[in-house]
Amino acid sequence: MSVSSKETIKKIIIEIVEDLIQDWGLDLDESVSEKTTLVKDLEFASVDIIQLCVAIEQHFDRKIGFQDLLMEDGCYVSDLSISQITDFIKDKI
Amino acid sequence: MTTRTLFIGLDGATFSILDELTKGDDGRQPVMPFLAEIYKNGARCILQSTPNPLTPPAWVSLMTGRTVGNHGIYDFIRAEEHGDDVFFTLYDSRDSNCESIWSIATRQGKKAAALNFPFTAPPAKDFTGFMVPGFIPWRHLRRNTSPKDFYDRIKADLPDFDPKKLAWDFEQEKEAVNKLTDEDRENWVRYHLPREKQWFRIADYLLREEAPDLMAVMFDGVDKLQHQAWLFLASELQNDETSEYHQRMRKLCLDYFRQLDGFLESLVNSAGKQTQVFLASDHGFTTTYEVVRINTYLHEKGYLHWKEGVVDSEETKRRDASMFANLDWKRTVAYCRTPSSNGITIRVAGSEGETGIKPEDYESLREKIIRDLEELRDPETGERVITEIHKREDVFPGRAMKDAPDLLLVLRDFGFVSIKNKQPVVLARDEVAGTHHPDGVFFAYGPGIKPDTRTKKCNIIDVGATLLYSLGLKVPGDMEGQVPKDMFTEQYLKENPVVVGDVTQSNIKDNDSESMDDDEKNKLMAQLQMLGYME
Repeated sequence: MSVSSKETIKKIIIEIVEDLIQDWGLDLDESVSEKTTLVKDLEFASVDIIQLCVAIEQHFDRKIGFQDLLMEDGCYVSDLSISQITDFIKDKI
Repeated sequence: MTTRTLFIGLDGATFSILDELTKGDDGRQPVMPFLAEIYKNGARCILQSTPNPLTPPAWVSLMTGRTVGNHGIYDFIRAEEHGDDVFFTLYDSRDSNCESIWSIATRQGKKAAALNFPFTAPPAKDFTGFMVPGFIPWRHLRRNTSPKDFYDRIKADLPDFDPKKLAWDFEQEKEAVNKLTDEDRENWVRYHLPREKQWFRIADYLLREEAPDLMAVMFDGVDKLQHQAWLFLASELQNDETSEYHQRMRKLCLDYFRQLDGFLESLVNSAGKQTQVFLASDHGFTTTYEVVRINTYLHEKGYLHWKEGVVDSEETKRRDASMFANLDWKRTVAYCRTPSSNGITIRVAGSEGETGIKPEDYESLREKIIRDLEELRDPETGERVITEIHKREDVFPGRAMKDAPDLLLVLRDFGFVSIKNKQPVVLARDEVAGTHHPDGVFFAYGPGIKPDTRTKKCNIIDVGATLLYSLGLKVPGDMEGQVPKDMFTEQYLKENPVVVGDVTQSNIKDNDSESMDDDEKNKLMAQLQMLGYME
């Protein structure tokens, strides 16, 4: 796969997240952006994060290692922003 | 176009219950009159489940025609040992090494629809039919439904469609494996009545609107009900002196089966008289009367050490309540990962410095564990509590054997083990419950099927081959299941000989089964960690 720009990846991640949450009935103050966080803003549970990982892998049609994104000093992170995911994917592909 | 083959899955259906429900009582109509018609005018047999008769391995064996050691789906939860820790994640369809009959059928130009089957999400890339997966939370149903527009289509065309009612609810399921209050148990049974109706409506809609060559739907309420309400269903547990609550629960359970029978009749009628109909369960059911705390026993024998945490801390409580083993991995050499696995995993060090036993000590340790497990006996009768102990190479041969537990246990009451850190090791239940039994059910009905026939026992891997044969397709050369010819009339077999064809398209790429690349390992670790978060 050719290297994609950060803007393109951000757009893709936002589209995937919007597709995922479209009928969750969330009462969002603002639309999904790079500042949006999965757990605090979008009420993601861990199973939802697993499904998001699957969706991202399916979009890019490849396996992506998410450990470095989700782990910090041996512990899993408590939340993630769209911006963090974008930066991570940008480095990975 | 007309539907050629209709397959209805009944999770956990067992002859000991269905035989009773299809009999008229004192001149009254049976609870399941349409199934009685299938008994009378169809063929049936016991369907041998997978070595561990559990939903994930069994349904995947049914859908692939392959044994568990080949497809590699052993449990709901997949574990990976990583250094001094063990992490857990969920299996999904991508973890199966074998092609499903849904993909095999659509790849050969057949129109297929599969509703509510576990481990069908995410849908395979080459599947071009209709798929609404089972065992997926409602929030992820849309993305995992195939084709892309089908979710919106059923929302628009079926006014009562409610994904929250239809889909797998993790919280509900988690609660249901525990002992429920009477009120919760009654609500649990009631919860499945509208839920099954949702699946029925989609199946009926597809039959009428699309008439797929292969229409398949699975009703999993049978299993859910029997786990919690076995006491009210099993004929040997009924007597004249029952409480008002017991009578109400029994009526509720029978109402469920009455509704299910109506679904069967409607679906068969919607499919049409020319359709061959097959019904099968992934396993049967029986009575469990005791709890066996296998990890406590392994601890007593020195193989396992519990993780020491801050007593009464939130983390300790959460971990103790979880369904995964929570152990001191540096000191544990053998343990049971999950209650549903009924397996013992031996920890073998992959390299110098890693925890676990040395590879050269594996056989002697395994033999020692077997001897210890054989000595777990009923203190009063001396009877063995674990009646069968299988080595993995005996029950899970195949390219995915490396992921299997080293030992598979069969308890004397066929129950699932407990992995909790509690005493005593063996405890009689206050109240009996339902548990899985290896003998499931298999029915065939319609044109070309022998009437009123009981045939010899089939294996669950035979169902996939049978459905492909019924569709007029060749049975793939690498499919381990076989078509049970004694279910079909001689004339039908003469006109439709069983033909073996090319092999399936494996989900595994060259050498992929033996080694994962770093990206894949990282991804897995991330998923496992996130599941830890879920605890």
